[in-house]
Amino acid sequence: MRYALLLLLTAPIVLMALMNIFTQYKMKRISKQRFVQQFILWTLISTLMFASFPVYNLVSGNPLLDSSSLSLFDIVQTTAIVYIVYIINNFRRKIEQNERTIRNLHQEVSIILSSRNGKG
Amino acid sequence: MGSAKAAYQYCPDKYNYETMKICVVVPAYNEELVIGDVVDDVKETFRGTKYFCEVVVVNDQSTDKTAENAQKATIINHLINQGAGGATSTGLRYAEIHKANWVITLDGDGQHKAIDALSCLEQAIKIDADLLIGSRLINKKGMSKVKILGNRGLTLITYLLFGISVTDSQSGLRIFSQKAIDVLEWKSTGYDFCSEMLWRAKKANLSIAEYPIQAIYTDYSKSKGQSNWNAVNIVKSLVRRRIVEMFE
Repeated sequence: MRYALLLLLTAPIVLMALMNIFTQYKMKRISKQRFVQQFILWTLISTLMFASFPVYNLVSGNPLLDSSSLSLFDIVQTTAIVYIVYIINNFRRKIEQNERTIRNLHQEVSIILSSRNGKG
Repeated sequence: MGSAKAAYQYCPDKYNYETMKICVVVPAYNEELVIGDVVDDVKETFRGTKYFCEVVVVNDQSTDKTAENAQKATIINHLINQGAGGATSTGLRYAEIHKANWVITLDGDGQHKAIDALSCLEQAIKIDADLLIGSRLINKKGMSKVKILGNRGLTLITYLLFGISVTDSQSGLRIFSQKAIDVLEWKSTGYDFCSEMLWRAKKANLSIAEYPIQAIYTDYSKSKGQSNWNAVNIVKSLVRRRIVEMFE
């Protein structure tokens, strides 16, 4: 039940991320190579989420990773981590896009102004 | 693309078709003491050659008389300080707008000889390279051991992060073909752009080559160059850039 809850909470985030990648690729905003890399990354995350029960059993048998069974807190924490990764990545991409736009604008303005001053 | 033959076709009408237009981009920040000599050296060296050469000084918000002392060149004044990477990018954009066939970038501190730039250009045309780096580490004469160590370290980091094997990843003397001018774009604005540019060039399948040059190390250029401490910052930026790109 707890593992199903974890899957239910994280699946929409992973799906949104995958949809984002597909949209960006179809709109030719990212290269095929980047699409494949991103697809593998998020598929790996979703596989871990789907296989959380056997993965948890596997690691809990290891003395180094031994822990109690999945608690509700663990579910919330894992969901939050996946969601934060998704949000941060989106923000970072938007910030970089804005940075690039400002830099390009500054470049063009500098060149145009220099040309008007008769030096460029 | 990138061959001398292809380049002739891109010459604007106002220039002789036998002449290739070369843009020499010099990013400069507070270089009032030497910028005039750098511009004069380039103009003198290219005078009488088959190339039509335009020297473009990108004044990166200098607080001294860099712009005044570079009057013989085309000057682009940045409105905001962008760093070496940003200034070089502006110079390349100018060259793209003005349909230059080849671009040469030189450091504004006078550490590069214009004659080396000319040799590099001719080598790039000869071997049909898209990006040619003037390597100071093939012939290390005059370079301090600390500088050699710093450059070797950054070159090794560049190799480990991006898989690009060159001898001098941080050299400011570079030659760009028209294809490279059109295709290359980097995100770094600081000195880390040197390594990032190589990575972008590799990803864009541009041919990268090197040619030995002799850097001039005066007290002035030593004081203006990158310190080895700055190399730590460059490494940090490059590692961050490499990780971030995995999520793009």
